[in-house]
Amino acid sequence: MRAHPLALAALAAILASIPAAAVATDADDDPFAAFDEDWDDPWATRGGGLSWSGFAEAGLGTRWHKVDNLDRLTLGELRLRAETRYDHGPFRVDFKGDLSWDQVADDLDGELRELALSFSPGRRVDLKLGRQVLTWGTGDLLFLNDLFPKDFISFFAGRDEDYLKSPSDTARVSVFSPAFNLDFAWTPRFTPDNYLYGERFAFWIPALGASGAPAEPRRADEPTNGEVALRLFRTEGATEYALYAYRGRWKQPLGVDATGAPRFPRLQSWGGSVRRPLHRGIFNAEVAWYDSLDDRDGSDPATPNSELRLLGGYEQELVRNLTLGTQFYAERIQHHERLRASAPDPATVRDRWRTVATLRLTHRALQDRLTSSFFLFASPTDADFYLRPAVSWRHDDHWLVTGGVNLFGGRDEFTFFGQLEDNSNGWIRLRYYY
Amino acid sequence: MKLRLALVPTLGLLTMLLAPATRAEPLEDVEAIVARANLAAYYAGDDGRSEARMLITDAQGRQQLRQFTVLRRNRAPGGDQDFMVFFSRPSDVRGTVFLVAKHVERDDDRWLYLPGLDLVRRISAGDKRTSFVGSHFFYEDVSGRNPADDRHSLLETTAEHYVLESVPRDPRTVEFTRYVTRVDRNTFLPVKTEYYDGRDRVYRVMEVLGVEEIGGHPTVTRSRISDPLAGASTLMEFRYTEYDVGLPTDIFSERFLRTPPVDWLRRSGE
Repeated sequence: MRAHPLALAALAAILASIPAAAVATDADDDPFAAFDEDWDDPWATRGGGLSWSGFAEAGLGTRWHKVDNLDRLTLGELRLRAETRYDHGPFRVDFKGDLSWDQVADDLDGELRELALSFSPGRRVDLKLGRQVLTWGTGDLLFLNDLFPKDFISFFAGRDEDYLKSPSDTARVSVFSPAFNLDFAWTPRFTPDNYLYGERFAFWIPALGASGAPAEPRRADEPTNGEVALRLFRTEGATEYALYAYRGRWKQPLGVDATGAPRFPRLQSWGGSVRRPLHRGIFNAEVAWYDSLDDRDGSDPATPNSELRLLGGYEQELVRNLTLGTQFYAERIQHHERLRASAPDPATVRDRWRTVATLRLTHRALQDRLTSSFFLFASPTDADFYLRPAVSWRHDDHWLVTGGVNLFGGRDEFTFFGQLEDNSNGWIRLRYYY
Repeated sequence: MKLRLALVPTLGLLTMLLAPATRAEPLEDVEAIVARANLAAYYAGDDGRSEARMLITDAQGRQQLRQFTVLRRNRAPGGDQDFMVFFSRPSDVRGTVFLVAKHVERDDDRWLYLPGLDLVRRISAGDKRTSFVGSHFFYEDVSGRNPADDRHSLLETTAEHYVLESVPRDPRTVEFTRYVTRVDRNTFLPVKTEYYDGRDRVYRVMEVLGVEEIGGHPTVTRSRISDPLAGASTLMEFRYTEYDVGLPTDIFSERFLRTPPVDWLRRSGE
């Protein structure tokens, strides 16, 4: 609690440094003069030191239903972001860091989102070493071959969508050639998703036979082994092709160890994707084979089964400024009959197939200042859904206010989205960019 | 009257010496004018690099700023082109990169790189007549509208301009019913375009406010798109424009969306 005033002071300092807006300058013919900013070369390496940018943000969100062991707040924070870039000859360093006061965790927290060195040791090779956010694959908020860490707690709490991707400490090597390109990402220490463990959100607890939040956070030990991810890709005409491979662990602690604690079982995956224009929009398809290395014959109820994952999607502008995106996603359990046979509670075992359809509508109005979006995940097999509408108002180059809702529901309490029903929440964020 | 008559031959001679093109017989073939205008407006040099600023003024007089660096390469004069736009201002779009592979024979391919997610997003071809980063410019204004998408006719040839009228071949894909363009007879740059809506009102105007000769190419350095019905506009200013800088072909790829090609973005001599 001691740190609370500190975060407020930091926010106040940033807000106080807002330049007096649009002071009229000499009436020369420079229409940009009101911005009182030189036209510096944004890419120059010399002069003036580092150029900093970022934002200060206040966010508030609250759940609709009271849940034992959980705070009513799902989002309560003051956040300060600083970003910069440093170029020195062929080397470049990127930095992005957050300082945030989190009322839910009652904690002042510094998070390094990026600190990475980039350079090209050869004409066709790029290296990026250090903490960084990595993304690949073709899905929209559905990830098959992208096994880089994700932060579902931020996603469900209404933080900016950027926070869905967590950084990892990774060495990325990219090799480019006319025939194909290659990305190789080695993360020496396994970096899991920020999964639900019982601090902010409730989830299905099999031992309880209900959805809830454990009195003690349910965290898994993080293995110290590394993980590797590989992508081969090329663009041929208008079509983008990619092949993927991964070796590491399930990003969520889906396994259970001998003491009943959650653990991260080993995982290997293979996949491919294609993305191309179709009709008046963009079509994408992706496939991934999740090979659950710790339970290849699918008979161990304490370890997830191997799975086939499929995705098809299409996005198009419906009318001016209104874009529609839709996806169909399916997971198929490899040894479903063995899973059922060995499960302690066969009633809560999922079907062989789990399918999810998504619908995204995005509307931009008033010169892109008002953006409304609607994203629905709906599973016909699980009979559950997740709806996230949001509206954002960009007042000017500095102020942005965004509000939205995370609504979960389902027939059963043990399904993917159904278990999250008590986490339904509304949130609002006010951000100042500097 | 006498005085003016007397002056005409002298001025005429002077103009002939300075810029022979002005005295050339006016073109009558509208397709030829459109083709020259397209080349003048979007194809100067084999490639180019420029910095741009946009000042967006809304109906309430509030102003916003955008700053970016554009790289362009022609695959063929009047043919396919690649564009890359690197945003540096304001801070919520800093690091965002827009890549267009413009095609004459088919829809353009377009990508947007979002640095916060390290995401390379593909954008569908349909929505190119929508606001370019909140300005009154459209995505299509940045890379150029395909002349073959409209039917053109020559309305008038004045002392300085060709006045063209263009009607969309597929009215469902655009928000205008027609547009009238004044093309400078000397430079072939379109200097003013008025777009008409379904009620035949001018609802969108593009005006060139400044032209400089750079590397032998008459270059628009300042232009404005205004929305006279709403009383809003965006002023665009180009500076530090260079042509024929020798951009490598592979710059326009996913590699350089993720890793900006700083050596090519930086102003020369810095």
